[in-house]
Amino acid sequence: MNTCHNKCVLKVVGVTQEYNHKNIIEDIHIHLNQGEFVSILGPSGCGKSTLFNVIAGLLTPEAGKVFVNDKEVTGETGVVSYMYQKDLLLPWRNVIDNGILPLEIRGIPKKEAREKVKTMLSVFQLEDDGEKYPIQLSGGMKQRVSLLRTTMFSKEIMLLDEPFGGLDAITRLKMQEYLLTILKKIKGSVLFITHDIDEAIFLSDRIYIINGSPAHIIEEIVVPVKHASSEEMMTSGELRQLRSDILKRL
Amino acid sequence: MRKYQNIGDKLIPIIFILAILVLWELVVNLGVVQRYILPSPTDIVNALLANWSDIMMHTWVTFFEGMTGLLAAVFLSLIMAIVMDQFTVVKKAIYPVLVISQTVPIIVIAPLLAMWFGFGIAPKIFVVVLVCFFPITVNLIEGLQSVDGELINLVRSMGATKSQIFAKIKFPSALPYFFSGLKIAATYSIMGAVIGEWLGGKAGLGVYMLRARHAFALDLVFAAILVIVIVSIMLFYGIAGIQRALMPWKKLKEELE
Repeated sequence: MNTCHNKCVLKVVGVTQEYNHKNIIEDIHIHLNQGEFVSILGPSGCGKSTLFNVIAGLLTPEAGKVFVNDKEVTGETGVVSYMYQKDLLLPWRNVIDNGILPLEIRGIPKKEAREKVKTMLSVFQLEDDGEKYPIQLSGGMKQRVSLLRTTMFSKEIMLLDEPFGGLDAITRLKMQEYLLTILKKIKGSVLFITHDIDEAIFLSDRIYIINGSPAHIIEEIVVPVKHASSEEMMTSGELRQLRSDILKRL
Repeated sequence: MRKYQNIGDKLIPIIFILAILVLWELVVNLGVVQRYILPSPTDIVNALLANWSDIMMHTWVTFFEGMTGLLAAVFLSLIMAIVMDQFTVVKKAIYPVLVISQTVPIIVIAPLLAMWFGFGIAPKIFVVVLVCFFPITVNLIEGLQSVDGELINLVRSMGATKSQIFAKIKFPSALPYFFSGLKIAATYSIMGAVIGEWLGGKAGLGVYMLRARHAFALDLVFAAILVIVIVSIMLFYGIAGIQRALMPWKKLKEELE
């Protein structure tokens, strides 16, 4: 299960990153296959976001390499898409114009970019909200727009850094199911950071557990079955066992 | 309910100002203060109307100096703030100098400017630039630097260039700050022009007030003050109006709150 198949889109090999002469993450090896949902599960502040910054090319690691489609992209930006816990929408732009930001940066003319975003609105269940400004949207809706913007950049590899961490528990459950529905439609591959075990089990095909100081990958777990809803998942005996196994490792 | 409260909020200052004006009128008319020491509000309005065309001519000169100076200050501030934002070294070097420059009383600088640039229009505009430059620059710099670091990282991860980050993220984020500075600067601009004129010149409200004062025509001095106040307030609300037109999302925010 550790092998990278031929449809592997992202590979991180032996990445080490230090901060103030101290290693935060050490010798990280992970990979992501096409269409896969992989979570990186670990306690807050253990260096998960640092790993994402390396993959996104915002940081150049002390050691190790990042490959996208077998091409080395270590320290290169503009390759993978990134979504944060904060929605980071531009308050002066409406939903459509927030969505076109990555296309604009790539140099696509505004008009053409708007048309592209408009065709995606219905997929994201935002068809009535295109002209609204972020201030008029709820927290969950803002994250939908943020996800739309993320996929407009690239759906091949999406880094989602605790995207639902700032939402209340009920909205959060809804957003998790929403995310899976969207992914089924657009067929993207996701690397997902979370510190929530249930969230990781519910969403993922595979989970990397990261912990320690400096942080490293402790274990890789394949989630046996994907369940239709989170309620079913909570009551399934097999997954309860998995949950307690994971808890023991953290 | 809220509508009535809004009307009430607007009425309170109007009633207060009217009360002061009535009191002022009474104090002068009852002879508590001599009319040549302090003219009453109606005296002032009458003097303004009697000398309308004269005062308007001087107002136009002052307004022109104020606007030219304000525009020059905006232009300089934009350049200065962009350079300071892009190069930290420049900011570290210049920022303290900017603050120090503001502690020098403008009334002391103005006569020197007259010595250097003569009694024409140039030294007046220069004073306006001096007083307007600081609030705009300081606010703009603060706006540019207070952009969320994660937002900048996000667009960097999309491969944005430095100039794209500035044009699409930093500058629009800083616009509300820019307008706060601009509103302050606009109200200063007329005052700055008047200070410049006060030290001598051919025309302008400052010159007019100086002449009126020498003639002990205090009603005309007050009439000129009234005009300065009205023009400054109009500038303030004019800029607030431009701000609302340029930033519709701010209006939405106010409506929601």
